Amino acid sequence: MSGRVVAILAGRIRGRGPLPAAAALAVMTALVLAASAARAATDSCLDCHRALDDPRLKAPAQGFPRDIHSERGFTCASCHGGNPSDPDVSAMDPDRGFKGAPTRDQVAPLCAGCHANAEFMKHYNPRPYIFSLAEWKTSVHCKRESLGDQKVATCTGCHGVHGIRPHNDPASPIYPTNVPRTCARCHNPDYLKGRAVRADQYALYAQSVHGVALLEKGDVSAPACNDCHGNHGAAPPGLKDVTMVCGTCHGREAELFDGSRMKAAMDLEGKRGCVTCHGNHGVKQPTDAMLSTDPGGTCSGCHEPGSAAERDTRAIIASFGGLKRSLAGADSLLKLAEVRGMEASPGRESLKDAQDRLVAVRAGLHSFDPKKIGAALGEGAAVAAKAAGYGREALRDWRNRRLGTAASLVVILLLMGLLIARIRQGERARGD
Amino acid sequence: MSVRDWLQTRLGLESLEHVIEKKRVPVHRHSFWYYWGGMTLFLFGVQVTTGILLVLYYRPSADEAYESVRFLMTQVSFGWLVRSIHSWSANLMVGAAMVHMFSAFLLKAYRRPREVTWLTGMGLFVLCLAFGFSGYLLPWNQLAFFATKVGTDIVAAVPLVGGFLARLLRGGDQITGGTLTRFFGFHVAILPLLMTAVLGLHLFLVQWHGMSVPPGVEQQAPARKEMRFVPDFLLRDIVGWLAALGALALLAALFPWELGLKADPYAPAPAGIKPEWYFGWMFQTLRMLPSHVLGIEGEVLGIVGFGLAGLVWVVVPFLDAPDGRGPRARLWTAIGMLAIVYVIVFTLLVYRGGHPR
Repeated sequence: MSGRVVAILAGRIRGRGPLPAAAALAVMTALVLAASAARAATDSCLDCHRALDDPRLKAPAQGFPRDIHSERGFTCASCHGGNPSDPDVSAMDPDRGFKGAPTRDQVAPLCAGCHANAEFMKHYNPRPYIFSLAEWKTSVHCKRESLGDQKVATCTGCHGVHGIRPHNDPASPIYPTNVPRTCARCHNPDYLKGRAVRADQYALYAQSVHGVALLEKGDVSAPACNDCHGNHGAAPPGLKDVTMVCGTCHGREAELFDGSRMKAAMDLEGKRGCVTCHGNHGVKQPTDAMLSTDPGGTCSGCHEPGSAAERDTRAIIASFGGLKRSLAGADSLLKLAEVRGMEASPGRESLKDAQDRLVAVRAGLHSFDPKKIGAALGEGAAVAAKAAGYGREALRDWRNRRLGTAASLVVILLLMGLLIARIRQGERARGD
Repeated sequence: MSVRDWLQTRLGLESLEHVIEKKRVPVHRHSFWYYWGGMTLFLFGVQVTTGILLVLYYRPSADEAYESVRFLMTQVSFGWLVRSIHSWSANLMVGAAMVHMFSAFLLKAYRRPREVTWLTGMGLFVLCLAFGFSGYLLPWNQLAFFATKVGTDIVAAVPLVGGFLARLLRGGDQITGGTLTRFFGFHVAILPLLMTAVLGLHLFLVQWHGMSVPPGVEQQAPARKEMRFVPDFLLRDIVGWLAALGALALLAALFPWELGLKADPYAPAPAGIKPEWYFGWMFQTLRMLPSHVLGIEGEVLGIVGFGLAGLVWVVVPFLDAPDGRGPRARLWTAIGMLAIVYVIVFTLLVYRGGHPR
């Protein structure tokens, strides 16, 4: 395996001591190029398969030169065995190591042969991802496959085959923005027809706040399917896991929810944490309108009218609305001051602080603790009042400036009038 | 011994009184233009006064400049007024200096023996522009930062010495906090020193030679009317200064000078960056020039053109007819008129469809 050879040679070169790094790199590059050239000249697998008419047999030879494995110096024989230096059909003699195409259940162990070997993988990446067969075995895909299901994904189902690109290549089917479509190749109503598995996830996800961020805005920090379900161990999150799944990104909210009375109540009723209010695949951008006890509101789904919880919720909603009105009022005052040319940046800073507090209150709602929420709302309202105070002061200043200017203009005009009278007097005295 | 006698013995006030008593100002149909030198001087006085007040609070570093100006505008009593008047007065001063310069040009006040008065006046005008350019950056806001970048980029395009001049101005290859400190040094130390020297010489020469009388007036009325400088002309001057003071108060109150956002070198340049209005006509010319003219870069051609035109403008006393009459004098009058029209039209073009600042 030329990659291995290169790595071993590189180790030996390093072992010689003071050979300059540039020279070592040049030697390694030359060896890789030589290996590639030798392979190109002698790889009978590619030569023969390229010449075949059957598209199924021709495609591997066409796709493999673009494959990351090919770029790293692997050959067809690395996975399929056989003797690529033999130009005859005897190259595929099983007695001489030819394994042919692996069956579905052989794929994961075959890939694991290299990808689960940390020592080996470190030759190609100082911080390699080490595949775990144990994790793979926890996936629904593996479990279904072990039951003989031939329609479940294995490594090649997601990563492709004979044209595999690295995970960070935007052309890879597992690049974050491509993951939802890759999953949807199987998780769609046609492919899953007749199975007791939901198939509407992609349609819901594509419309969700996560889907819009990832698929439309290209924001790779937004979660794709694997960020919640796992990748090689892909499975639906368990009931107890939902908060932990959402909490990997929404840490503050998850932390507050975990310590709340709401979580205990939901656990008792068998409700599924975050998704009870926000949904899962179709999760929408949360809005303040969600906080509502009115029919159709998020809270009214569980809290009956007149209950203590409903009264607490109403009180929080009222204070929350009050803070938002305070912020809007302060913003109007500051805008008016700015339009009138006043420097209102200290007020803007206070307003920004109050807005940040509103955001913190939104996260704090997940504590479902009326006292804590009420205190945070009170602090926000105080800062908003400070911002409004700056706005009012700026407007008062603006009025005072005008009055001051008017008064000074009167004095100036008076002085000008006196001077002009003095000039006229002088002219008359001279008889001008 | 009275105070007057005491001072008389030590300062020779009598001779000063004699000079003041003797000083006369010609009265004719163009006398109005005599007031513009005094107006420029008054506005310069406003600049010095407000500038000294600003320096009490201003801190010339990239970390503190913006904050110190904001503190001055929001926390210091009348700080907003001082800054607004300083900014507006700077603009009015350049405007008054332009009126003074163009009126002196058209009235041919540079005729013998006032060539040096004209040269010092041109020096003062360049110093005024330098004051404006260096002062504009000091609040360290976004507009000032990028306008200074554009301005120093133009300097960098000057053939042969451009790179050196741009580095000298910036204190490096980029506009940094070092540039701000440097501009502050120019604005409050180097330029005032030069201004004091050149202004002193200019005022001395104006007193020495007296007011110039335009050639047309000189020819028509040999027995001219005059007025005493003190108190007749001075009182009229003061009326004008009071009017300017009122205008400054009105502008500062109705259109307080904005501070904007703090400069961020990594932020994209705001849309529609323009220099101060008095550089607008040059900026517009450079903008309208094609990228290349006869194989020469348009910007370079424009800068060289401005340099040559400026040089001709400076040495006009030596090119025009000595007596200010005849075809050569008329040609220079036409050139002056054309220059005024050019400056006005190209300045207006900058603001076509946009806010001046």
